[in-house]
Amino acid sequence: MSQAPVPVARWRRPFEAIRRRALGGPLALIGVAVALFAVLSWAGPAQAGTPVRWTVPVSTKPADIKAGNVLFDLHCSSCHGMGAVGASAPALLSVGPAAVDFFVSTGRMPLNSPKAQPVRHRPYFSPKQIAQIVAYVNAVDVAHGTPGPGIPAVVAACKKQGPECPTLSEGDQLFLLNCAQCHDASGSGGMLSNGYVIPSLRAATATQIAEAVRVGPRPMPNFGPGQFTDQQVAAIADYVHWLSTAPDRGGLGIAHFGPVPEGFVAIIFGLGILLVVSRLIGNRG
Amino acid sequence: MSTAAERSASRKRAERQEQVLDFVDDRLGSSRWIRSALDKIFPDHWSFMVGEVAMYCFVLLLVTGVYLALFYSPSSAVVTYHGSYAPLDGQKMTQAYESVINLSFNVRFGLLMRQAHHWAANIFLAAIAFHMCRVFFTGAFRRPREVNWIIGITLLLISMLEGFSGYSLPDDLLSGSGLRVVFSIVQSIPLIGPWLAFTVWGGPFPGSSAFLERLFVIHEFIFPLLLAGLLGAHLAILWHQKHTDFPGPGKTEKNIVGSRLWPQYAIKSQALLMFVAMVVFGLGGLVQINPIWIYGPFEAARSSAGTQPDWYVGWLDGAMRLWPHWEFRSFGHEIANPFFPGILLPGLVFTAIYAWPWIDKRLFSDYGGHNLLDRPRDKPLRTALGVAALIFFVDCTLASATDLIGNGLQVSFELLIEILQYGSFIGPAVGGIVTYRACLLLQRGGAHPIQRPVGGIIVRDAHGAYHTLGAAHEEHAPGGHGADNGHSNAEEAVLERVGADREEAEADRAVRTGPGHGAEPVQEERQSGGAEPAVDEQGDQGGHHRQG
Repeated sequence: MSQAPVPVARWRRPFEAIRRRALGGPLALIGVAVALFAVLSWAGPAQAGTPVRWTVPVSTKPADIKAGNVLFDLHCSSCHGMGAVGASAPALLSVGPAAVDFFVSTGRMPLNSPKAQPVRHRPYFSPKQIAQIVAYVNAVDVAHGTPGPGIPAVVAACKKQGPECPTLSEGDQLFLLNCAQCHDASGSGGMLSNGYVIPSLRAATATQIAEAVRVGPRPMPNFGPGQFTDQQVAAIADYVHWLSTAPDRGGLGIAHFGPVPEGFVAIIFGLGILLVVSRLIGNRG
Repeated sequence: MSTAAERSASRKRAERQEQVLDFVDDRLGSSRWIRSALDKIFPDHWSFMVGEVAMYCFVLLLVTGVYLALFYSPSSAVVTYHGSYAPLDGQKMTQAYESVINLSFNVRFGLLMRQAHHWAANIFLAAIAFHMCRVFFTGAFRRPREVNWIIGITLLLISMLEGFSGYSLPDDLLSGSGLRVVFSIVQSIPLIGPWLAFTVWGGPFPGSSAFLERLFVIHEFIFPLLLAGLLGAHLAILWHQKHTDFPGPGKTEKNIVGSRLWPQYAIKSQALLMFVAMVVFGLGGLVQINPIWIYGPFEAARSSAGTQPDWYVGWLDGAMRLWPHWEFRSFGHEIANPFFPGILLPGLVFTAIYAWPWIDKRLFSDYGGHNLLDRPRDKPLRTALGVAALIFFVDCTLASATDLIGNGLQVSFELLIEILQYGSFIGPAVGGIVTYRACLLLQRGGAHPIQRPVGGIIVRDAHGAYHTLGAAHEEHAPGGHGADNGHSNAEEAVLERVGADREEAEADRAVRTGPGHGAEPVQEERQSGGAEPAVDEQGDQGGHHRQG
């Protein structure tokens, strides 16, 4: 690896030989494609200037809506009412695809009892079934004339700030200013009054983060387009996703809960080991 | 194997060494002192080494701290970050925060040193706390050691402040939030509070640009100097007064049994230093601590949910959470709420700890000097009070983690606070009573609960009656708790024999593991004022020479 750089001229010759054999064209094409792919995957799909569509399209196919209707009637209507008009749980006539996708894909719904606190679970439905339920509720909302927020699209953070390109730094600042009070700077969650548990964000996907920002699952406030642009929502989602997937610098991140687990480790493991050591060497004369 | 040439070379080497030593000795007259110092005897009990754990943590703190100080900048000038950590790119921050980020990511060994420094600080305080408990529960603070107790408590207090000032230096979100709380606590002191806070911070929070520089001078100069000086005094007094020891065979108020400083004790102690370094750097390299890049630079508008102080300040944070929302107003002055848990509580606690040697004298009407330690069960009242205080401390510390406990157990925050509020009264009371009873039971049982099964020795007396007795313990049980007083001769004989068995076993151990030159455990006379310890190698004198 530590060889001296090879002069360019010596490399050009074999390439020319290849081109002469009419293999050069396809090879060069493949090379360019690989290089392009590498550049794109390095910098993320959204380059500066590339138009980004900020919502994920929801299916309007009658077959999906019908399948969603069946699922809804079976699993949701006992609380939300037939036709999502509400019963012991709120009506879903204006919630929009983001809310439905968030609650069902994080396993918060279906809920055993309408009084229980919805917390993250393994999703009950398959992704296809979730899409069908979303399609159904969306159709109901549209028919009611009150469509809610769509599922926000999230693009991977770019290396360079562009007009429509969220950066990790932007996400970091927005997250610390708006989210960390409850979810902790490391996204590991916390506690609110009245027994509300603030969930850890480390298991959530970027899309679920963005949905929660837009929807505001109680007791979290919702942040509408007046507060965050679509790009800012994507920036927050990207940053949180990065936070939970990037390797911990400096070693094992103990629960990412800050000084309390650190003190625990210092006393139990740090001093504990040293007490055992003292016991082993201390009583020897 | 050695040839004549080798032999003459080694002889020459020895001569040269002697010459060097003679040179030093002729000028400083040090060999007599060194010889007696190397022969100084330290008792062998593992719990006496925990203070050394703290001392070696302090050494490691100095070493790592010097390395950090090479790269840290205490400036609150605002800069824009363009470094290797992408999420902070383009953000405005103080130069102090930037220097710690650069120190963590761009300086070789920087993060390791920073994390080792922080872990060492946490373990330092833990070792001091354990050491303090050991001294408290065994009565090692009694005359003539009251001064060293006071120095020790001062060391604890300064170490806490030193730890907090270090926690505040990186100027990240946790630092700023912590300082914000302390600023409010200082402000809440009646009459002088606002003046004091504005003087220290140089203005309203977050203070003037000089504040970080002041904090840095305090953290890296004033407090370490105080700690080093007080630690020196602590050790000098220990050296002069000689170490305490538990009562045991051959141990009296007037002698000290154990191993010599050189080579046994010095090697033990150096082994301990190696282990402390292993644990501190092991944690520093393997376990993340205080990831300030995640917390971000401090801005007054930001805060993070799990904002807690390091563990040794946690009890005060918890006390703030537990304290009811009371405020008092008199003569037109309001005494703000944070004053009670933030100033009054630690003030009272530390006053009580400082005054404890004198409270203890009153409590037990014992004004004499002691070189032999109490076992915790010997003074049930002291042990019970100590356990009660520890439970109160743990209760407050748990209160500072209520949000995390609630999150983990899915229990309401308010319920936890209420439980811990009641717990701060009920816990110490119940714990104290249980401890008191346990001490009395242990006195009666006479056995070490770990080394022997709990129970006792059943003895038949001259009249044919059976008694459960403490084995070798009656002599210094205060007030003759539990067992019957006035044993018959037969009973005494049995006691004697049981005691003798244990002594033999212990003497055996001492011989087995004893000093290299000579089979007997080494001992030394204690002289109340003498600087020159008289070395006495009479060996085990057998029998008890304890005085109650």
